[in-house]
Amino acid sequence: MRLPRRAFAFLAVFAAVTFPLLHPLNISDRVSPEAVKFKALIDSIPAGSVVMVSFDHEASTVAEVRPLATVLARHLFSRDVKIIGLSLFAEGTAIGNQVLSLVAEEYGKKYGQDWVFLGFRPQFQAAILGMGESITNVFPRDYYGKTTSELPLLKEVFNYSQIALVVSVADGDLGYAWVDYAYTRYHARVSAMLTAVMVASYMPLYASGQLSGLVNGLKGAADYERLLDKPGAAIRSMDAQSMAHAVILLLILGGNAAYWWGRKK
Amino acid sequence: MTRRLVFWITLSFGVFMLFQFFIPVVGGAYRKVLDWMQVIYLSSLLVGVIALGLQHLRKVSTLSSGWGYSLVTVAGLVAMPVAAFWGTGESSVFFWLFNNMQVPMQSTVFSLLAFFVASAAFRGFRARSLPAFLLLVSAAIVMLGRVPIGTKLYFDFPAWSQALLDIPSVAARRGILIGIGLGSVATSLRVILGIERGFFGRKV
Repeated sequence: MRLPRRAFAFLAVFAAVTFPLLHPLNISDRVSPEAVKFKALIDSIPAGSVVMVSFDHEASTVAEVRPLATVLARHLFSRDVKIIGLSLFAEGTAIGNQVLSLVAEEYGKKYGQDWVFLGFRPQFQAAILGMGESITNVFPRDYYGKTTSELPLLKEVFNYSQIALVVSVADGDLGYAWVDYAYTRYHARVSAMLTAVMVASYMPLYASGQLSGLVNGLKGAADYERLLDKPGAAIRSMDAQSMAHAVILLLILGGNAAYWWGRKK
Repeated sequence: MTRRLVFWITLSFGVFMLFQFFIPVVGGAYRKVLDWMQVIYLSSLLVGVIALGLQHLRKVSTLSSGWGYSLVTVAGLVAMPVAAFWGTGESSVFFWLFNNMQVPMQSTVFSLLAFFVASAAFRGFRARSLPAFLLLVSAAIVMLGRVPIGTKLYFDFPAWSQALLDIPSVAARRGILIGIGLGSVATSLRVILGIERGFFGRKV
């Protein structure tokens, strides 16, 4: 039986991804300027302030967004910054709650006082605009069914005026909605942690300053882990991504060589 | 009559939402409209879920082609909300289903992209012309600039990759965004003023 050429491409990608995950190559890397700027942005937030983290992603991109969200939560909690978590994408809800509760436990943070998770709200435009007026009005109950107005953290925070930064952990266009509605209408400071494929779309917002910070995919998460000196899932996964990119480039080169060879003949 | 009613509702809410931005006095009414938006959206979501369920139930009951897939859809559609009634915490059945079924299945389908990209790149990414060649070189620089192995091959790949993202890519995206913005304003005005009436539905 003769395998089609496509099968060899698949096998090469499979090997390139699995080998470094089983046997880490530990290739060192340079930290990107965006990650440095984002870390400085978080460092500039005083302890005791509140940051809103919105898990605006699907379950399919969990391998990329979980390291992003985890490193952010670690940085915030390590600096005693409080977190209000929520999701504008139904599937991000369970993942967001899991990430925050795990990291909160790691840092000994108390639910209701140091962090809360509001859960999911559909119709993102109305949810983002509504929170500019009153967060507890949009989320009368949190993810666990508790009355939000009775949670100590939300007794001090009413709307974006008391929030130091909004971070959208996104794999699509929802980060744009935060800029359109929270930044433009309520002058909330907005930043984004994105899957790499979305970064080119967001660069104009970052360049214009509408996004005050941006973390670029798994590479950004790995840079952030390096800056915090807390190696995690992102650094481990970068070897696999390195090898996968290299294999795809080799395949492109091979394909072109075959094409030009064929034309010559 | 119904079409005229739809037109007046659209016009009044469109004009209200346009002007409330500049007139903070109407804050109370604005907050009410935001609440209504969520209620209307949830109602439409319910209609969608019921329609989807009925469509697939019909396929299962008549055993028409692909009924097995419909059965899985209906099972998922029923299982997740039913499981959620017993809680959504980390030790709940809902969370177990989400973590051990939904996340792996969706991640698997998404991961297949890597294989298809590799295959498509191998077969289709050819430097047949100068623009195709430039696209290929740009893609190679960005791909190498975003991974540690690229830095090992040539230390300046990350800077080149960043320059490509910061200058030509931003310029092109900004042009597209301005076009989308102008198009959105024009379409919104057409809808608000009743020039665009496609969404009214059939004549009644």
